[in-house]
Amino acid sequence: MSHTTTVTTFADEVKAIPGGENLELCYACGTCVSKCMIQQKVEPDYNPRRLLRMVMMGMREEAFQSPTTWMCSECDLCYPACPQEIHISKVIGAVKKLAVEAGYTSPLIPVAVDETLCSGCGICVMVCPYQAPSLFEKEVDGKTDRFSQVDPNKCMGCGTCVAACPLGAISREGVSNAEIALQISDMEKAPPVLTVFICDWSLRVDDDLTILENYPEELVNVVHIPCTGRIDPQHALMALDSGIQGVLVCGCKPGECHFKRGNHVATCKMSLLDTMLGQMALPQDNVRFIKIGTQDRGRIKHEIEDMLDTLGVEKEAA
Amino acid sequence: MASKPKIAFYWAASCGGCEISVTELGMGLVDLSEKVDIVFWPAAMDFKYDDVRLMDDKEIDICFFNGAIRNSENEEIAHLLRRKSKTMVAFGSCSHLGGIPGLANMYDIESLCQRVFDTSPSLDDSRGVRPQAVTKMPEGEITLPTLYDHVKFLAEVVDVEYYMPGCPPVVDQIRAVFESILKGELPPIGAVIGADAKSVCDVCPREKGEPGFRITEFKRPHEVQLDPNKCFLTQGVICCGPATRAGCGIPCLTGNMPCRGCYGPADGIVDQGAKMASVIGALIDTDDPEKLGKILDTIVDPAGTFYRFGLAHSIMSKMKYE
Repeated sequence: MSHTTTVTTFADEVKAIPGGENLELCYACGTCVSKCMIQQKVEPDYNPRRLLRMVMMGMREEAFQSPTTWMCSECDLCYPACPQEIHISKVIGAVKKLAVEAGYTSPLIPVAVDETLCSGCGICVMVCPYQAPSLFEKEVDGKTDRFSQVDPNKCMGCGTCVAACPLGAISREGVSNAEIALQISDMEKAPPVLTVFICDWSLRVDDDLTILENYPEELVNVVHIPCTGRIDPQHALMALDSGIQGVLVCGCKPGECHFKRGNHVATCKMSLLDTMLGQMALPQDNVRFIKIGTQDRGRIKHEIEDMLDTLGVEKEAA
Repeated sequence: MASKPKIAFYWAASCGGCEISVTELGMGLVDLSEKVDIVFWPAAMDFKYDDVRLMDDKEIDICFFNGAIRNSENEEIAHLLRRKSKTMVAFGSCSHLGGIPGLANMYDIESLCQRVFDTSPSLDDSRGVRPQAVTKMPEGEITLPTLYDHVKFLAEVVDVEYYMPGCPPVVDQIRAVFESILKGELPPIGAVIGADAKSVCDVCPREKGEPGFRITEFKRPHEVQLDPNKCFLTQGVICCGPATRAGCGIPCLTGNMPCRGCYGPADGIVDQGAKMASVIGALIDTDDPEKLGKILDTIVDPAGTFYRFGLAHSIMSKMKYE
C-alpha cells in the first residue's frame, strides 16, 4: 500500500490552528513592533514581525525558541494598529501551541501553588485571564481532596490569581503576600507618607520611573507589582494601618492592560474598598487608583504631587 | 484525686445563641457536670456578679466569654472574669471578632440612638426619651452602664488565650473542645480552637466554577432559585466561604444558603472583608468596562456583607477608633 504524502510546511501547521490562518497576510511592515511594550520595556529581541516571517520561512526550531513565542501576553495593543488587521497574538498563540506540543517550555516564571494552603475553591481557575490554573483531585490521608495546579506554559505571571487566592496558597516569586507586606512596612523605619503600588507596565518611559524612584524614601515608598490585578485591598489597608497616610495604586488605562483584564479587576477591587471606606465614614481621598495611558508621559509626577498636597505634605524637589 | 476543673460562662453584648448552643449538648451536659464544676453561668443558673468577686484570683480554670464589648458593664465583667480565670476563651463570633453587634461601627452613636429610640418603624413613643447613664429620681440616682462609642471584641480589652469562632460555635465543636480540655490537650496559647485552618470551600462539596467564569450581576439569595449542587458564586450570589474558616460543618450550605462568614478569617487572611473584596472584585465580568459600575452597584452593602461578623475586628475599625 502506498500513502499519498502531502508535504505540510510549518506555515501550514500554524495556519491550521484557529487564529493562525491569517499568517500570510503579514507583509512585515513592523507596525506591531512599534506598538509592543515587551519590545520597548523588557526584551529588545522581541519581534512579532520577525516571528511571523520565521514561520513563513519554515524556521521551526528558531520560532519555538524565540522569546516572542513565549512572552506575548495577548494585550493586543498591536492588533488595532496592524494595517492588515491580523490578530497577531492569535498567530503567536498558534506557534506557542505547536512549541508546547513539541516539548518546549515557557521561560517565564509561573505562579506556584502550595497545596498545604490550597482549599481547592477554584477562584484562581475562574479569574485567570489565561486559563492557566485548573483543579485536580488526589488522595490525602485516605480521603479525596481537591487542589489547584497551574500550567506553567499558560501562566503569564500577572498575579491576578495571587491577589484573588483567599488563603495565600498561590504566590509568585517577588510578589508573594509576605514579600509585599515586607515592602509595605519596614518596622525599622518610620512609615513613609505615601505608598505607590506601581504596575510594571503602566509607566512607558524610563523618565517617569526615574521620577518615581527619586522621591525620598521617607516621603514615597514604591512597591512594584506585575499588574494591578495583583493588588489586594488588604495591602492598601495594611499600609494605612502601619501609619502610611496615603495609598496610590497606579495601573494602565482601560484597553491597555498588559494582561488583558488586570486593570479592570483592580477597578472592581478598589471600588469595593472605596465603598467600604465610605460606609465606615473613613477618608476616601487618600486611597486612589489611577490609570495611566500610553500617551500620559509625565502624569505620574502630577498624580503624586496632587496626592501629597491632599495629604498636606510640603512639596520637595524631586 | 484531682479536683474537677472550674468552668464559667458569661454573655456580654450578644444574642445568647452561643449559650443555647452549649445547651444543645443535651444529656451530655449532665455528663459534663460530673466532670467539671460550673461555677458561673448567669444565663442558665442563679449566679450573681458578687459570687465571682468573692472568688480567689485564677480560681476559675476556663472562662467561656461570649458577646462583644458594647458598654462599661461588658468591659467591667470581662476584666473581673479575666482576673478570676486561668484561661480565657473568646467564645463565638461576637467575642472573637465583634460579631453582628460590630456592624454598628459603621455608624456614629447618635445616629444609632436616633434610629433605635426615635425613628424605628416599630416604635410608638412620642416622648423622645433616651436612656441615660445616670438618672436623678426623688429616691436618689439610678445608673445604667455607659454605652461605648464603638463595639470592641474581647481581646481588645483583656488578654485572651483561645478563640473559638462561630455564630454560634456548633455543638459538635463545643463537645470536642470540652473533651480536649478534660484530656489536657489544648493547643498553644493564641490558637483558634474548635475550627479548621483552611476555608469553607475546602469542605464544600459544590461544583466549582469553570475556567473564565465571570459574574455579570449579583443577586441576593431570595432573588434566585439556587442550584444546590453549584458554587454560589457561579450563581451570582455572594458566599463568604472562600475567606471564612471551616469547622462549622457547613449547615448553611447544606440548607442551600451561602456562607455568611461567621467562623471568621481562615489562616493566612489578615482582613476578612478586604480579602473578600479581592476575591469578588476579580470574579466580576470585565469584558465591557462600561458596565463595571453597574455590576458593582448590584452588591448591596459590601462592608456589611464582607465583614458581617468581623467589622469590629477589621483594619478599618481599628483605623477609625484608634
